[in-house]
Amino acid sequence: MLKVKEITKYYGDLLAVDNLSFEINDGEIFGLLGVNGAGKTTTFRLILGLIDKNHGEITLDGEKIDYNNISNIGFLPEERSLLTKMTVLDQVVYYASLKGMEKDKILKELDYWLERFNITEYKDIKIKDLSKGNQQKIQFICAVIHNPKLIILDEPFSGLDPINVEMIMSAIRDLKKNGKMIIFSSHRMEHVELFCEKLIILVHGKSVLSGSINKIKKDYQKKNIHIVGDVNKEDLLNIKGVVDVSKISNEYIVKIENDSIVENVFKYIKKCENITKFSVEDATLNEIFIDKVGEKYE
Amino acid sequence: MNKKMICLIKHSLNKKIKTKWFVAVNILLAVLIIALSNIDRIISFFGGDFENKTKVYIVDNANVYDNFKNYFDENAKALEDIGDYKVSKAKKSKEKLKEKIKEDEIIIEINTSDTNYLEAEVTSYNTISMITSTLISSTLNSIKNDYVILQSHLTEQEIASLTSNVEITKTTTNPDVDTYKDSEYKDILSSGIITIFIIPFFIFIVTLTQMLGAEINDEKSSRGMEIIISSVPAKTHFLSKIIASLSFVLFQTLLILSYGAIGLIIRKIFSGINKSGISNVVSGYVSDIFKSIKSSGLLDVLLKGLPIFIVLIVVSFLAYALLAAVLASVTTNIEDYQQIQTPLMMIIMAGYFLAIMANAFEGALFIKIMAFVPFISVLLAPVMYLLGQISLIGLLISTIIMILTTIIIYHFGLRIYKVGILNYSSTNLWKKMFNSLKKEQV
Repeated sequence: MLKVKEITKYYGDLLAVDNLSFEINDGEIFGLLGVNGAGKTTTFRLILGLIDKNHGEITLDGEKIDYNNISNIGFLPEERSLLTKMTVLDQVVYYASLKGMEKDKILKELDYWLERFNITEYKDIKIKDLSKGNQQKIQFICAVIHNPKLIILDEPFSGLDPINVEMIMSAIRDLKKNGKMIIFSSHRMEHVELFCEKLIILVHGKSVLSGSINKIKKDYQKKNIHIVGDVNKEDLLNIKGVVDVSKISNEYIVKIENDSIVENVFKYIKKCENITKFSVEDATLNEIFIDKVGEKYE
Repeated sequence: MNKKMICLIKHSLNKKIKTKWFVAVNILLAVLIIALSNIDRIISFFGGDFENKTKVYIVDNANVYDNFKNYFDENAKALEDIGDYKVSKAKKSKEKLKEKIKEDEIIIEINTSDTNYLEAEVTSYNTISMITSTLISSTLNSIKNDYVILQSHLTEQEIASLTSNVEITKTTTNPDVDTYKDSEYKDILSSGIITIFIIPFFIFIVTLTQMLGAEINDEKSSRGMEIIISSVPAKTHFLSKIIASLSFVLFQTLLILSYGAIGLIIRKIFSGINKSGISNVVSGYVSDIFKSIKSSGLLDVLLKGLPIFIVLIVVSFLAYALLAAVLASVTTNIEDYQQIQTPLMMIIMAGYFLAIMANAFEGALFIKIMAFVPFISVLLAPVMYLLGQISLIGLLISTIIMILTTIIIYHFGLRIYKVGILNYSSTNLWKKMFNSLKKEQV
């Protein structure tokens, strides 16, 4: 289990991470969300021990993280961290050796991952000659090849097309099944929503929302009602508790303040004709994020 | 040394050695060094007029030809030019010889004179070189002396006393002076040996700092540093870069020495074949230098200071490498590194020029002080010691100062390095670095 307890980090006078706490259990995927400069990368660097914290404690399976157990962590940085003049083989062997792996084992694992990502032909190609997407796949391989307990993925889907996103997602899901702790950041809420059990949203280094996604969504009062039929937008807006009405294609999306408004909207709908859809749905994570971050951002 | 450090060193060395450029440069170096070791044979192979001798025709109207030839050959031998001249007695008159004079011919007509005993007229097609002119003048002066003595009807004993050299007994009061044999010794040092020894140091220090900076910057600019430092401590990375760079410099030095050895072996193999005059001169020159070094006492002084020299060189290389690594860690790209390392380059240059000038400014207090200044001392202190301007104790003190400086650079440099290598912004750079110095944990 990764336990981050009340960590604080200052860069000079700037408070980058403010009294942050969270836990990740084995086989759990944890989302660390926030706008640029919110403190996500700093948090990752603190976990890895790349920078010193001013306060707090970070432990992995009850032990303080240092260079004795750092090999239990795999890290995929946000920016490309590959040495572009090296071949894929040399690059992976180099980084994996630094994690303490033997060459035979590296070669075996590398073959598995290259095959899984359909890039076996690039083994002896220089990194600089690969596409952005393939470079990201190699970077992902470097982060997981040594079979770490904790995998930190900072924007793992950046630069990837939908097919490659699905490929990496599938690999992450398998790693979760194998009991790995996965912590990742992304600006794409649909990715977070797809496989994160827990998340934390940071604003100016401080947690503004945290917990399991299901609970967060449940606790979030605002809902969306999806309606298809002959309704009047103005009439909907006049119902007390309706925040907004938008129309996408032939579907109306009615934002309401809380569950109690549903009944009033339904009463109105009963009077209307040709209603083929009336569905009450939780707010999307994107909406929750914008709402929560927007409140605190300024 | 742990496995991860070995992995880092191996990677770093492979990156330098397993490149097309390394192979290309070394092929070029090998060819150049082997060629330079055998340059005389290469010149001989292509031919030229260096085998042509200058023909000196003597129109002897004073009956001094034999004496002239003896003195001329003796003087030419002293100048190591004996093979370049052929002196013979003219069978024709000066006027007839003048009519058909060639480029490589000199006619010397020697006549008796009522006032000056002997007179000579030298005729040539082109202007005579300074060396040849000096050779002719000194030969004519010598035969004139003999001629005058002969005309004076002196006894053999009187002649011997008159022509013998003045006996000089040298006495020095400086107790240290017996460690080196003054003028002869210094002549050897100033004859270019210092420069020959200093230039490789200078080149290797420059190569070391450039290479180290480029490599660290490459890892930084590609952000590979985050992965590396999340796997190994900054200290391990720091030391691995230093060890790899020093190993590379050592490896390159050994390669250059081996090219030199190959060149000398080739020279030895072909020594019996087609041995030209130039070969004789080169071989003679080299063996003369070695003989002079040995006979002058330079070798003894060198051997006495050698252990300290080696320590000073190793420590200084280490200090330069440490400083280069620290400077590279705080820069964000190679252009910034090029700028920030300029003062370091200037220090190396200062050491280089001071070492070359040390003999010319003998006794200068400024140069003596500079021999104790870290980073400059590696180039200057050994030279000052060999010149007798600082004692063995002085050399030792200079080395101790360098060792202490290296320890300080390592201690504080490591703190800067740890913060610097993960810093990608030049904003508040100096503040960040200053703050890192206060941190104890590395």
